[in-house]
Amino acid sequence: MKFSIVRSKFLDGLQRIQNVVSGRGTLQILQNAMIEAEGDRLCMTTTDLDISERCYVECQIEEPGSTTLPIRRLASIIRELDEGKIMVEVDEDDVATVQSGSSYFKIIGMSVRDFPPVPVTEGKFCYRIDQGVLREMLRKTSYAISQDETRRVLNGVLMAFKDNKLTMVATDGRRLALVEQEIEFPPEAEAELILPNKAVTELMRLLSNEGDLKVYAQTNQAVFEIGTTMMSSKLIDGVYPNYRQVIPGACDERVVIEREALLSALRRVSVVTTDKSNATRLTFSANQLTISINTPDVGEGRDTLPVKYAGKEISIIFNPEYVMDPLKNIDDDEVYLEMNDGHSPALLKCNVPFLYVLMPLRIS
Amino acid sequence: MLVRMVKDGHIRLLPIHVANKIAAGEVVERPASVVKELMENAIDSGATRIDVTVTAGGRKLIEVRDNGGGMGRDDALLSIERQATSKIRDVDDIERIDTLGFRGEALPSIASVSRFTLKTRREVDEAGSELVIVGGSLQDVREAGLPVGTTISVRDLFFNVPARRKFLRAFQTEQAHIRSVFTLHALAHPEIGMSLTSDGRELARLPPDATLEERVRDLFGADFCAGLVPLDRTRGEIRVYGFAGLPNQTRTDRSEQYIFINRRPATAPVIAYALREAYPPLEGNRKPIVLLFIEMPPEHVDVNVHPTKREVRFHKPVDVREALIAAITEAIGNTHRHKNNEPADAPPADTKAAAHDTQDTRDTQDVSLRTLVPEAAARPFDYPAPVPLPLVDAPRPAAVPFPAPMQPAPVPPPTGKGLPLFADPHAGSPWRWCRVLGQVGGRYLLLETDDGMVTVDPRAARERVLYERLMDNARSGETLSQRMLLPETVQLAPRDAARLRKHLSVVQAMGFGVAEFGSDHFIVESLPAALGTVSCRELLGNIAHDLETAGTRRGAEKWREELIAKAACRAVTGSSEPLSEEAAERLVNDLAATRMPYTCPRGRPTMIFTSYRELERKFGR
Repeated sequence: MKFSIVRSKFLDGLQRIQNVVSGRGTLQILQNAMIEAEGDRLCMTTTDLDISERCYVECQIEEPGSTTLPIRRLASIIRELDEGKIMVEVDEDDVATVQSGSSYFKIIGMSVRDFPPVPVTEGKFCYRIDQGVLREMLRKTSYAISQDETRRVLNGVLMAFKDNKLTMVATDGRRLALVEQEIEFPPEAEAELILPNKAVTELMRLLSNEGDLKVYAQTNQAVFEIGTTMMSSKLIDGVYPNYRQVIPGACDERVVIEREALLSALRRVSVVTTDKSNATRLTFSANQLTISINTPDVGEGRDTLPVKYAGKEISIIFNPEYVMDPLKNIDDDEVYLEMNDGHSPALLKCNVPFLYVLMPLRIS
Repeated sequence: MLVRMVKDGHIRLLPIHVANKIAAGEVVERPASVVKELMENAIDSGATRIDVTVTAGGRKLIEVRDNGGGMGRDDALLSIERQATSKIRDVDDIERIDTLGFRGEALPSIASVSRFTLKTRREVDEAGSELVIVGGSLQDVREAGLPVGTTISVRDLFFNVPARRKFLRAFQTEQAHIRSVFTLHALAHPEIGMSLTSDGRELARLPPDATLEERVRDLFGADFCAGLVPLDRTRGEIRVYGFAGLPNQTRTDRSEQYIFINRRPATAPVIAYALREAYPPLEGNRKPIVLLFIEMPPEHVDVNVHPTKREVRFHKPVDVREALIAAITEAIGNTHRHKNNEPADAPPADTKAAAHDTQDTRDTQDVSLRTLVPEAAARPFDYPAPVPLPLVDAPRPAAVPFPAPMQPAPVPPPTGKGLPLFADPHAGSPWRWCRVLGQVGGRYLLLETDDGMVTVDPRAARERVLYERLMDNARSGETLSQRMLLPETVQLAPRDAARLRKHLSVVQAMGFGVAEFGSDHFIVESLPAALGTVSCRELLGNIAHDLETAGTRRGAEKWREELIAKAACRAVTGSSEPLSEEAAERLVNDLAATRMPYTCPRGRPTMIFTSYRELERKFGR
């Protein structure tokens, strides 16, 4: 195998896919990227067996072939080289020679036969979504993903393609975030996928703000095609809990709050919380919200802010982190908090199809 | 103790009724018992220096030399003769030997089974006396030029009792026994200078007028001391002082439990019981290290339970137990109340000031434990510290300055963040300064502290932190529970379900929103907010199981809460992902702030400490 490639393109490709390579791990081959030269482009693939990433880079191929090379070392070398053309030649023992200007390197690789098979981009269904939209949806929900490994189905986001909508849901059993977006797909392509947390993080990194991406869904894996980059991930097997039933129907009271003001007030007051005790009391009275925290042995904090509210006085206790999380990840100026009383679930909404259910804390 | 060797006329027969109370038993069982009797006599003679020399594990020679009061010739003869003769006249008559007095039999019985030489001189006498006894019969009494004090040499022990000789163990074993007898007496009397020489090799040389902690350090080394916390507490008429080992330093047996009752090495079943109560459960039934001195009016303790007086009986065992538990829990339960004397993020102290402080602290701490000042007791050991490192002016990154950098600080404090754990080095944190280096094996956290390296098991650490949070909540009576969005139903086995039902109110009071859901199903609607994520199935199963196996343990209040908290902590699901840097630091901080950071609620260690000294030793430096 022999090819010549522009340094910046090569480096860009390597950097896009090297994130799944952990740097430690038991399988040596997983430290390597599979590099295949065919036609007029290089196909580079990495995998950690759960997630695989692949990208295509233009190059001039003199002799097609394939190999695997340690990606971190390769990327470090390419990064340090001066801009220009790089010649790469790999012999039959998978030893690569990298030459650029006055620099010369030999890197020992491994045979491509040892590299695990990587999923193909074919799926039963293909959905087309705007990259920026998907990224926003992930941002608005992913913080609510459960870290509790005993309930596997909650360790990811649910992507439900149904009724010409993509509904994305994440919950950890204490709060739930949900966003919806209308997209077009044939009715027979209705499906539910649970994308694991790690793939969500990786996907958010790869997505840009422009252009569409294609999602190929199969029963146990999904492939995301973003321009010349592809990411495939295993899906979490299982049935996502019926999230509709935990969303309160109609609420008696509705408060309009400035998002930034609420967020900064909570930030200030939660300075006096500890891991042990983080109960934050929100008291809503006529056009006023009082946030107060009283932590034994630490101190107390109180802040008031104007809100639009005309209902009965409600006092409700939340974990402040759970209130701040959605506020940090939406951009609207105003949010709406809907409640019935101090001990039923509350609902946070904004002007986009976003919904956040949070359970209050109870003192006994 | 009985043979007061001070003045003539002080040797006396004990009244028969006292003597009769004394349990029967052989005094001389093995060379170590000779050492014990002779050392006790030497201590009672008011000596300030006692030298013990043994050869061949005590078989060939045991010599105890003191500089005490000494004896006049008449007393010397009396102490040997009367009882020695009686013993030789009627060897089998144990009853009669007993009547001869409380421990009065010591010297004569030793003399009867060895070649015995007693050399003694009082200060008032011009010349001393030398007595030679072989197999119990007085061979020679002569005047001799001698230093003040008494020297007793016992040669060829059991030379005339072949049966006994046969049962002696290897030299090493006998020597080990002698050594432990020596250690016990050395601990009980730090004011007396002592030395132990075996086969010409000096095994210990202990300077006189030592404090207890100096004596402990001389005997066991500084590493041993690092794992001890001092204690001193008086409860009613009972004073308990000494040192308690931290729960992460345990032994498989009681060999390192040194207990003295009114300065007499002794033990009693109630003490072992109290230790079990005072310490958190220790893994594998291991035993803590303790050095305890219990002092109480002599009439409240009966030392005549056992002939060797190792086992005693208390008239009010409950008081003793309570006093012990209170003293130990106070010491190892950490002096948390003392913390936050100084803001944790205080700017690095001036080097000179720090050096000065060191000196000061050391001076104030250098208080004899015999006259225990409370402050001294509340502090951990202070080593004769090397001069604090000449710190470069460059600020040590976030590492908290300690008023008393007693060990050479890690040189140089590597870049990276240090954890300002406690400004006060005596605040009960396991370390004064630490820095999380990272996670090894995808699991254990590695910390650098100023004394060494600490490996922390995050899972055990998390259990400890959560356990204390839950118990704090349970004690304060106010619980905060987080309602679940998706209540979980759990089906239990019928027996488990019945147990859980029985204690459901306690479980609920602790903030677990658990309710019956019909036919052995339970629904979990809320969980204590402090708990984090748990597996509900495991949670309820654990609680039911533990409540049953515990039965109605000890009268301690809140035992059910403790059990439930422990069961709950076990159900907490840790993520298998490596901890983030912040999460690791938070966990380490939380752990250091607990009352019992060294073990998880089940008694497993949360951390393993490797001192720099140990590392150096292993690297052969």
